[in-house]
Amino acid sequence: MMINSTVAEKKDETPTVSTITFDWDCEVRPGQFIMVWVPGVGEVPMSVSSTDGTKAITVKEYGPTTQALRRLKAGDRIFFRGPYGNSFTIVDGDILLVGGGSGMASLRPLIRKGAHAVVAARNEKELLFASEFGEGKVYRVTDDGSAGVKGTPVDQLKTMDLEKFNMVYVCGPERMLKSVMDHFKGRRVKAEFSLERIMKCGIGICDSCSIDGFQLCRDGPVFMLQELQTMKEFGVSKLTESGKRVDV
Amino acid sequence: MPDISTEVAGLKLENPLLLASGILDENGYTMKRILKEGAAGVVTKSIGMEERKGYRPPVIAEVDGGLLNAVGLPNPGIANFGEEMKIALSEGKPVIGSIFASSVQDFANLARKMEEYGASAVELNLSCPHVEGFGTEVGSDAALVEEIVNEIKRKIQIPLFAKLSPNVSSMIEIAMAAEKADAYVVINTVKGMAIDIHARKPVLSHGAGGLSGKAIKAVGVKYVYELKKETGKAIIGVGGIEDGFDALEYIMAGASAVQIGTALYKHGRGIFNTVNAQISDFMEREKFGHISEIVGVALP
Repeated sequence: MMINSTVAEKKDETPTVSTITFDWDCEVRPGQFIMVWVPGVGEVPMSVSSTDGTKAITVKEYGPTTQALRRLKAGDRIFFRGPYGNSFTIVDGDILLVGGGSGMASLRPLIRKGAHAVVAARNEKELLFASEFGEGKVYRVTDDGSAGVKGTPVDQLKTMDLEKFNMVYVCGPERMLKSVMDHFKGRRVKAEFSLERIMKCGIGICDSCSIDGFQLCRDGPVFMLQELQTMKEFGVSKLTESGKRVDV
Repeated sequence: MPDISTEVAGLKLENPLLLASGILDENGYTMKRILKEGAAGVVTKSIGMEERKGYRPPVIAEVDGGLLNAVGLPNPGIANFGEEMKIALSEGKPVIGSIFASSVQDFANLARKMEEYGASAVELNLSCPHVEGFGTEVGSDAALVEEIVNEIKRKIQIPLFAKLSPNVSSMIEIAMAAEKADAYVVINTVKGMAIDIHARKPVLSHGAGGLSGKAIKAVGVKYVYELKKETGKAIIGVGGIEDGFDALEYIMAGASAVQIGTALYKHGRGIFNTVNAQISDFMEREKFGHISEIVGVALP
């Protein structure tokens, strides 16, 4: 059923990303998502980027619906359905978040005192939520070297002892996830990955987001490292909006 | 242990449950998993001549008793569908190719191509209610349906199933026009609409859509019963089946097999094993030895 609420605040996080907060009295677990509707424009899946109390989504502009969402302001109505999908496993002790681009949005509810992070983006201005981590806990990675390590998250992960973390949480584009998974091979790393694929129905019937027969919207979006390692489609091929198989 | 295997127009099925077209059937790996998890066979998403993206979301809306959808026939085009068929068929169970087109020639080409890909049967989508020029617009023209069915029958060796729409003034008339088909698939979704009163707009981007789920079960059972009585032909029942008792209702109305689709959103892929177990238990309690003893028992 379509739910509606009122936008409490809109905050620009980077030149292309904004966070929209709204009241919604519902239990949402870190990693879950909602389908957000802009009447007359379209509907998109969005990770819930704040799950306690006031809820939020963090929107990167990539098409007409996300563009319309970024134009919302306090007092406007916001329409959505959910929450959908599974969630991250919450563990005690040291945790590491690895987020690429807007992938940081789904990891944000996991941020807590003492959490470590590798935050990656195209350039310094697009680094998302890096300032929410404690001093010395965050490693920045940019494509162009404008901040931190120049390269990919794996270039940073190579320098770190990953086995000391009770959980590594990873979210970002599928090619990045694949490279991180490959880096974990042969190491005793406990990790969970949140995947992104084209999603239309959000409720496990349209097959747009499926990977190896699992529906991202229902069985995912969070998968354990061991599950990903057995998948034939992960990091290899996916279906487009029409259902045409293309390389990832 | 009762025998729940069945047969539709020569197509042998290890149990009476097929995955309905349009649900979890555009990716070969998904179809393979559904087959592994208890379906006797799957029907593919409807495939046309050309690639189509479908409508922009929202393409589905939850309503009382089911779902409304207007997905808009997204498909990769028949030329790009071979790999998915190959992956799905690797499970060693029947894969039925659903096709849609607006001309006799295109329908025949699509059917031939499905046969070439190894499809176990072809299902004609004569009834998609929400795309102009396809589906119901074709399926409500009796003369055109007759021409399509007769032409395809000349071109393929595998069984041909005609999926019929309740959105016509006389389903019997269309069924008669499609009488050369080996079986009927009854019913496709019923036209409907949902409006969000706060947005003051239809929820689906396309406006109207097709209603599926429990809300249409009684409609489906009625048409299966009527068609079986009038034609005696093999029928696959579909519409609102969520448990073994729903499936048995369709079977007693005359269906030799049934399809499940919408119920997957509530019950997940495990529904096939659950429904099979419920059918088997019922048969044991009611002392039926084989599905064929139940097909059409409710008919006069």
